[in-house]
Amino acid sequence: MDSYITINDLHFTRGHRSIFNGVTLHIPRGKVTAIMGPSGTGKTTLLRLIGGQLRADSGQILLDGQDISQLGRKALFDARKKMGMLFQSGALFSDISVFENVAFPLRAHTKLAEDVIRDIVLMKLQAVGLRGARDLMPSELSGGMTRRVALARTIALDPELLLYDEPFAGQDPIAMGVLVQLIRLLNDALGLTSVLVSHDITESLSICDHVVILADGVVIGEGSPTELKKSDSPLLKQFLNGLPDGPVPFHYPANDYKTDLIG
Amino acid sequence: MFLVEFLIKNGRAGIDFSSTIGRSGIFLCRSILGLSLGPKGLKLLAKQIYMVGVLSLVIIVVSGLFIGMVLALQGYNILIDYGSEQAIGQMVALTLVRELGPVVTGLLFAGRAGSALTAEIGLMKATEQLSSMEMMGVDPLKRIIAPRLWAGFISMPILAVIFSTVGIFGGLLVGVDWLGVYEGAFWANMQSSVNFQEDVLNGLIKSLVFGLVCTWIAVFQGYDSVPTSEGISIATTKTVVYSSLAVLGLDFLLTAVMFSSI
Amino acid sequence: MYQRTIEAAVGVFMILGFGALMFLAIEVSGLSMSNDSDTYKIYAQFDDLGGLNVRGKVSLAGVPVGKVSAISLDEEAYSALVEMEIDKSVDKLSLDSVASIQTAGLLGEKYVSLSVGGEEEYLKEGDTIFDTQSALNLEKIIGAFASGQVEL
Repeated sequence: MDSYITINDLHFTRGHRSIFNGVTLHIPRGKVTAIMGPSGTGKTTLLRLIGGQLRADSGQILLDGQDISQLGRKALFDARKKMGMLFQSGALFSDISVFENVAFPLRAHTKLAEDVIRDIVLMKLQAVGLRGARDLMPSELSGGMTRRVALARTIALDPELLLYDEPFAGQDPIAMGVLVQLIRLLNDALGLTSVLVSHDITESLSICDHVVILADGVVIGEGSPTELKKSDSPLLKQFLNGLPDGPVPFHYPANDYKTDLIG
Repeated sequence: MFLVEFLIKNGRAGIDFSSTIGRSGIFLCRSILGLSLGPKGLKLLAKQIYMVGVLSLVIIVVSGLFIGMVLALQGYNILIDYGSEQAIGQMVALTLVRELGPVVTGLLFAGRAGSALTAEIGLMKATEQLSSMEMMGVDPLKRIIAPRLWAGFISMPILAVIFSTVGIFGGLLVGVDWLGVYEGAFWANMQSSVNFQEDVLNGLIKSLVFGLVCTWIAVFQGYDSVPTSEGISIATTKTVVYSSLAVLGLDFLLTAVMFSSI
Repeated sequence: MYQRTIEAAVGVFMILGFGALMFLAIEVSGLSMSNDSDTYKIYAQFDDLGGLNVRGKVSLAGVPVGKVSAISLDEEAYSALVEMEIDKSVDKLSLDSVASIQTAGLLGEKYVSLSVGGEEEYLKEGDTIFDTQSALNLEKIIGAFASGQVEL
């Protein structure tokens, strides 16, 4: 497998909690990879580590051969031109219009002429189906539209890597369907490597080529969706089938029920 | 055992405190030099000077007027016992230019502009706008923080000077028009006792220092805030409290240095 | 267009600030625009300055004609040497003019009051006034009364 991202033996602690305890995984080039796991396992943290916003305690994070954790501030900012991250809330700049939001990375990193920028912005907005909304302000957009505009902004500089942080959270079925389609289409049409972090099993598994499941700070399963569905691991089974009780217990640790009530 | 616990708790607080100071220092250094002087940078700066300075004008002018008038009123009551009510001009002017101009402007600035800055930046942090900017390879310290810092430095002295001026006119209104002090004496006594280098310039230096400290605290608290609604509320409160205390404390220090030899 | 309004407002703001500063400079602190060429320097020696400061007024018959520009100790005569800058237009101060240190009002500052004498020659740049009257020292006067040296 040709890996775009390779993570070797990653360790990361926040405060006293150790989030990653020797995580090793591969993200294949040109494919859609889903990173899943129970709440609080640090999936968003992993994205931030890949993007260089956080620094690992030890271990390697290789992006197309470059070790992200070794880069200085300036080199890191340059490396980020090749990647795009879609945040959970869209994170559009609230004081400028949709058009200006999508144009932002172009204005910041290129010296293109104004009409060229205009054309690029319109093309990106067209790709997400929101070319007509270009003069609206972010406060006037619905949740789904906000995310689509944010997606257009993320692909403005034609990155090689796209990171999605919980793209399906809180979306209505139509908006969800749109996003699911867009993620797959963009990945194939532009030859990108996409990594999405999500709880949503059905949607994620329907579009991804490769799955990584994290729990308790380590990788508990990695492979294609079909491979994982056939797995025997009880934790994987519980997670993939959404079973309420299993290795992740239903009851929070407590005293004996009878004694609590009566004794 | 209790002593050990006490030491541990305070030791941690001490370390937290020092690390916050250190973070804020590094933050200041990284941002302050980050203002780009090209047309884009100046546009951002102009917008921030508008938000921070121009929008504070109303409160500054109204406060200045009232304080000048009260100074004249109170001062008259005291001076008339010595038969020196003609000195009211110099009393109002010196009090404003040396002390009340920079200090009250600093406190009002901290409350109005400082809290607005903290809330804005805190909200940008909470909605992940700062993170997404970083991920796009644009340094938020340069783009968001630096223009606001410089806007504060530039606006504060201007506001303080306007405050003092309006205050003097307030004093003129009350002293001359209402209380009957001779206008000529008002200005003449003022002019002979207010010295440009010692009083006006020192007041200006004070307001520059206050501007630096208040804006720095406001911007850092926003940047460092916990990205929840409760976190922003705490950060805004901290801004107002710390800035106000800093202004008053620094005022004492600066006054002692600048004016004690007179 | 919105940007234009902002820039205009900021411009007005800065002009207001500058204007206020100028006001404070000129009207409030009386920073004079005159330069040295409009004044000439004369000196006077006093036994007791009594609180006269640099920038104190120098007046003739109550009219301000200059200011005290420097104060120093004359180590040979053990007296205070006061340097004053007088307006060039006031050039008919006779050589035997008297300079005395007086108080303006009750809380007032000390200033130098000049009064001309009868000589026909006038003070020029660098001349010294020798006939001076030091500040009235209240304690000395009371002490003189109390010890009976001076009678009412």
